[in-house]
Amino acid sequence: MKASRALSSLLLTAALAAPALADGPAIGAPAPTFQLTTIEGKSFSLADAEKANKAVVLMFIATKCPVSNAYNDRMRDIANEYGKKGILFVGINSNNTEPESEVKSHAKEHGFAFTLVKDPGNKVADLYNAQHTPEIFIVGPDGKLLYHGRIDENQQEPAKVSSPDLKNALNEILAGQPIAKAETKAFGCSIKRV
Amino acid sequence: MRHPKSETRSSKRRAALIAALLVLAAGPVLAADAPKLAGDLDAKGLADAVARDHGKVVVVNFWATWCVPCREEFPDLIRLEKTYRDRGVAVLGVSIDFAKDLSKVEKFLAANRPEFPNYIKRAGGDDQDFIDSVDPKWGGELPFTVVYARDGKKARVLSGKQSYASFEKAVTELLR
Repeated sequence: MKASRALSSLLLTAALAAPALADGPAIGAPAPTFQLTTIEGKSFSLADAEKANKAVVLMFIATKCPVSNAYNDRMRDIANEYGKKGILFVGINSNNTEPESEVKSHAKEHGFAFTLVKDPGNKVADLYNAQHTPEIFIVGPDGKLLYHGRIDENQQEPAKVSSPDLKNALNEILAGQPIAKAETKAFGCSIKRV
Repeated sequence: MRHPKSETRSSKRRAALIAALLVLAAGPVLAADAPKLAGDLDAKGLADAVARDHGKVVVVNFWATWCVPCREEFPDLIRLEKTYRDRGVAVLGVSIDFAKDLSKVEKFLAANRPEFPNYIKRAGGDDQDFIDSVDPKWGGELPFTVVYARDGKKARVLSGKQSYASFEKAVTELLR
């Protein structure tokens, strides 16, 4: 276990040694790999997850941001629905103002069953140039970025969503089709960086 | 033995104290003259509100009750408006709070007593349309301030918490 943690730490350091992309990865470009420890103490490797799933959805989220919180139920439901179809969901908390204990209690409170990692020093957020919560990146099995942006257009009224962009992208991925709207504009609170 | 008059005064003070505590326990009561929201608005409503102050330098500040830096800079906007209103500066506040938090917005306004109009973003619709209408580079993070020149054109964009000096610099440059 200790050796595994040490290896994880080493790999994280190595993965993050690459300079952060000023504008983040472009659609179709390789998504930066990283390795972090989940809030349950398990190692998570994006490179390994890519190989084992039809796609990996990285969700930069927060515990205190009302915009991110407005999407809690939607994130939980989408992860539950598409998790059964071979898509892996990973919540990433990069806010230096929100400790791991808070991330754990927040996940429990909202019934998150997806993988959750804390991003110490917001290094993964920097690699992706993620700026907001919530902000979504979908990585394909070949490690390339397939989608970047928002969950949908209507933060306050889930029943009136007219542009479910994340779900549309996932449906297109599962159908083997190109994503019609691969880039949308993420909006929400700023990630609280160190 | 205490004097009966002193006893009466003491009882009155105690009654007044209890009454005050009961009021506090019941929660803050908004004063009748507390500033009210000027209404809700969407992208068009915001453009119309800015246009009504055509000829002035218009400072539009986006804030929310849950946003700590917004709350911190709000007194500086109040001061800015008071200082520069006679020189052609108008300030508009737009709360991004959700409609369910309307009472929090009203309490915030009552506590701060801005002398400029404050609106709340209309619930629903495409949030990105609203955000893009304010500034295409904005991602909805708060606080966010846009300053329009006298001709109605967007002239300054101030992202994040500003100091009074920063607000003042932005408007004075446009007043010249």
